[in-house]
Amino acid sequence: MSDTAKGLHTRELTVRYGGLVANDSVSIDVDPGTVVGLIGPNGAGKTTFVDAVTGFTTCEGEILLDGTRIDAMAPHERRAAGLSRTWQSGELFGNLSVAENLLVAARKGGWRTLVRDVFGRRRKSGDEVVERALQVVGLGDVADTLARDLSLGQQKLVGVARALAGGAEVLLLDEPAAGLDSMESQSFASRIREIADSGPGVLLIDHDMSLVLGVCDTVTVLEFGKQIFTGTPAEARTDPTVVAAYLGAPVEPSHA
Amino acid sequence: MGTILQFVVLGLGLGAIYIGLGTGLLLVHRATGIINFAQGAMAMWGAFVFAQLRLDGTLVFPIGSIELERRPPVAVAALIGLAMAFLLGLLVHYVIFRPVRHAPVLAQVVVSVAVMITLQALVVLRFGPNNIDVDTLIPEGSFPLLGAEIPTRELIMAAIMVLLAAAVWAYLRFTRAGVATRAASENERAAVLMGFSPDRLAAVAQVVAIMLGTIAVMLGSSLTGLNADNYTLLVVPALAVLLVARMESIAVVVVAALLMGAFQSLINLLITKPFWPQWAQSGLDQVIPFAVVMVILFVQGKRLPSRGSLQTIRLPDVSIPRFKPIPAVIMLVVGVAALSFTQGTWRFGITTSIIVMLLALSYVVLTGYLGQISLAQGAFAGAAGFALSKMTSQWGIPFPISLVLSALVATALGMLVALPAFRIRGAQLAIITIAAALAIERFVFNNYTLSPPEGNPIADATLFGLNLGVREGRDLSRMAFSLTVLVIAAILVWVFIRAASGDTGRAFLAVRANERAAASSGIDVRKTKLIGFAISAFIAGIAGCLIGFSRGQLSAESFSVFAGLQVLAVAYLGGITSVGGAIVAGILGPLGIVYTLLRGVFDLGEYYALISGLGLIITAILNPVGIAGATREQVAWVRRRLSRTPPPTAQPVAPAAPPKEPSRV
Repeated sequence: MSDTAKGLHTRELTVRYGGLVANDSVSIDVDPGTVVGLIGPNGAGKTTFVDAVTGFTTCEGEILLDGTRIDAMAPHERRAAGLSRTWQSGELFGNLSVAENLLVAARKGGWRTLVRDVFGRRRKSGDEVVERALQVVGLGDVADTLARDLSLGQQKLVGVARALAGGAEVLLLDEPAAGLDSMESQSFASRIREIADSGPGVLLIDHDMSLVLGVCDTVTVLEFGKQIFTGTPAEARTDPTVVAAYLGAPVEPSHA
Repeated sequence: MGTILQFVVLGLGLGAIYIGLGTGLLLVHRATGIINFAQGAMAMWGAFVFAQLRLDGTLVFPIGSIELERRPPVAVAALIGLAMAFLLGLLVHYVIFRPVRHAPVLAQVVVSVAVMITLQALVVLRFGPNNIDVDTLIPEGSFPLLGAEIPTRELIMAAIMVLLAAAVWAYLRFTRAGVATRAASENERAAVLMGFSPDRLAAVAQVVAIMLGTIAVMLGSSLTGLNADNYTLLVVPALAVLLVARMESIAVVVVAALLMGAFQSLINLLITKPFWPQWAQSGLDQVIPFAVVMVILFVQGKRLPSRGSLQTIRLPDVSIPRFKPIPAVIMLVVGVAALSFTQGTWRFGITTSIIVMLLALSYVVLTGYLGQISLAQGAFAGAAGFALSKMTSQWGIPFPISLVLSALVATALGMLVALPAFRIRGAQLAIITIAAALAIERFVFNNYTLSPPEGNPIADATLFGLNLGVREGRDLSRMAFSLTVLVIAAILVWVFIRAASGDTGRAFLAVRANERAAASSGIDVRKTKLIGFAISAFIAGIAGCLIGFSRGQLSAESFSVFAGLQVLAVAYLGGITSVGGAIVAGILGPLGIVYTLLRGVFDLGEYYALISGLGLIITAILNPVGIAGATREQVAWVRRRLSRTPPPTAQPVAPAAPPKEPSRV
C-alpha cells in the first residue's frame, strides 16, 4: 500500500510514557470500506494507539489520512479532516440530550457561528444527519433522552453515532460493544459491516473475540506495545504467536 | 549592598506570613483536596482577637464581646487568640468544608471564596475597617552589617515560621497520621486501611493550618498593623507560593515564601529610585505573585497534581433557554413600571440591580455554560469603566460608541485571561484569575498616575440631543438613565439567549461537560474558551460602563477584588446557569433592591456583605442550583402534582448512572 492511499495509515508509530514504550513502531493500514481489528491483552497499548492517532497523546512516527500527514494537527482538526473516534468509557456530554450530543459533532462552532446564532436564522440542517446516524446504530427512539440516563451499552452506541455524525473517513471504535449482550453484539457486528460498506474504514478494538474475528477483514495483535501479528482472522486463529500471547486456545468460528 | 540586605531582611517578615499561609494551604489541600481561598481570612481572626485584647482588653466574639478588667499580658492574649483560631478551624471544617468534600471543584472554590468574603465582612464589622496596631511578640533589635542596620525581628519571625513548617513536614513524613494524610490525598481508602478516619485527619489538618496561619499573622502584623482587606488578600501570594511548590513540597513552600517576601520588599526599594518610572510605582509588588503564577502554570500547568485527575467540573444542569416573547414583554413591563413608580434611592437601587444582573450574566456565560471559573469579572468591568472615563472626558467619544469601545477593552482583557485557561482549569484557574484581578486593581485602578485620586470623571451620555445622564439638578436618579440601562440590559439578555440556544451554547456545554470528548467531536476547545471569555468580559464591560455612568465618575472601590467576589456570590446564590438566576442575583446584588431595602427599611446596610457571604455558604452547601434553579424545580414539582400525570419518562425514576469514582492512580 502506498502512502498516498486513501484511509488511515500509520508508519512506525511510537508512544513513550517516561521510560515505558506503550506503542513500539506500530504500522497499521485502515483502508476505506474495510474493518480492521486491533486486539491484545489489557495494557497492550490499544487505547494508547487510538489516543496517539487522534492527537490525545504525543507520539513519534507518521500518521497519514488520505495521503496527508496529520500528526501535527490538533485533535479537533483531525476530526474535521475525517478521523473520528469513540471512547472506551463513553464520554458523552451527560447533561445534553442524545440528539444534542450528535449536533455538537455535526455543527461547527466559532466566531462566525456566534454571529449567525445571534443575528441569523435558526439552522435546521444537521437534524437529518443526526437522525441518520442514530438509525445506523439503531437508537432512533432515544433522541430526546439525556445521554447520562442511558445504559452504558446505549451510551457507547450513541458514541458511535456521534463519531459518525458530521461525516467520517475513518472510524476508530474503542470497545464499542463492551456493554452489550451477545445478541446485541451480533446485531452490532452487522451494523459495523454496514458502516464500512457505506465507505469509511473502521478500526475496531474489542475484547469480544467472536465479534472481532467475525467482522474484521484484517486483524492486528499488540502485546506490550509491540505489533506481533497482522493478517486475516483465519490466520490469527492459527498463528502460534497470537495463540500463545492472547487467545490461549484456538477460537472456533462456530462460537459466534 | 547594605541597604539591599536590609530590605531583603525586612521582606522576610512578609515571607514568614507566606510560610504560615502557604504551609497551611498545602496541608489542607493534602488532606481534603480543597484549595482554601479563605486561608488568609481565617488566619487573621485570631490575630485580630489578640490585637484587640492588647489594645483595650476587649475580647471580641463574632457576636458580642466581653470587656476584661485589665488588658491581659501578651502571652495570655496570644493564647486566647490561638484558642479562637482553633475553634474557628473546627467550625469551618465541620460545618462548611466537610459537607462539600466530595462536591465538584466549582462548589469547593465558591465555598472557600464565600468563607473568605464572610470573614472579611465580619472582621470589618467587629473590628472596623481601619488598620489597627498590633503588639509585638518579639522584641525589636538590630545589628550593623555592611554599613546598614539589619533588623533582628524579621529574622526571628522567619526562623520561628521555618521551625513550625519543619514540624508540619515532620508530622507528614514521620507520624502514622501524617503518612495516612498523605495517603488520603491519593486515595481515601488507603487512610482507612491504615486505621484512620480521613475526615478526622482533614479536621486535624484544617486546625493545624489555621493555627499556623494565625501565628504567622500575629507575628507579621506587628510590623504593618492589621487590616481586613490586606490580610484576606495575602492568600494570593501564598497561593502563588503553593503553586511553585507544586502543592507538594513544604521545603519549597518555605524557600519560595521567603524569596517572594524578600523580592516584594526589594521592589519597594527599587521603585523609590529616581530612574524608576513614576507610573509603575503603585502595586508592582502585587504584579509579582501574578507573574509567578503565570510562569509556573505555563511551565508546568499539566503536571500540577490535582486530586482525582481529569475530574471535570460537574455543575448544576442547564436548561437551554428559548426566547419567549410573552415573558420577555412581561419582564420589560414590570421593569418599566417598577422604575416609573419609584424615584431617588429606590429607583437607583432598581437600576443598580439591572446592572448587577448583567454582571451576574457574565458569570452565567463563563461558569454556568462554559464551566470556567473566573474571579476577575470585577476587574473586567473596571477596565471598561476606566476606558470609558478616558473616552468620554478626555477624547470626547460620543455615547453608544464609547460604551461599545470600552466594553471591547474589557473583551480584550478577558481574552488575555483566557490564555491560561487553555492549559488549566478548576481551582488553578481561580488562582490565576484572582491574582490577575489583584494585580489589575493595585497596578491600574489604585495607581494615582493612571487614575487620579480625585476620581475619573465620566461625562453624561447623550443620544440625538437627549440627555441620558443619571442626575440633573435635584433629581438623583433620572428616568432617562434607568430606561437606557433597561434597554441595554434587554438587548444583552436577548443576545445571550440567542447565542446560548444556538450552536455556540451547545459547544459551550459540550466543553463544560467533557473537554476531551468535545475535541474528539471536532470542537476547537481553545477557541470556544476564547469566545466564552470574550462574551463574558464584554457583558461585564458593559456593566462596568453602566456603573461608571451611574456614578458620574469612577473610583477603584467599585471594582475591587471584593466587589467582584461579592457579585460572584450573588450570581451563584441566584443560580449560575440561567438568566433567571442572573435576575435573582441582580435583585440581591450589592447596592441593588435588597440592599436598598436592608438599608432603608431595616437599617441593616452595613450587614449586607456578611449576609450575602453567609447566604452563599449556605447555598453552595445545600443547594448548588441556586435560588432560580430551586424555584424551577419546585414549579416543575407543583405542576406534576397538579396535572396528576406521571413524569414524561414512563419508567420509575431510577437513580441515573452512579457517579463515577474519579480515577486515583
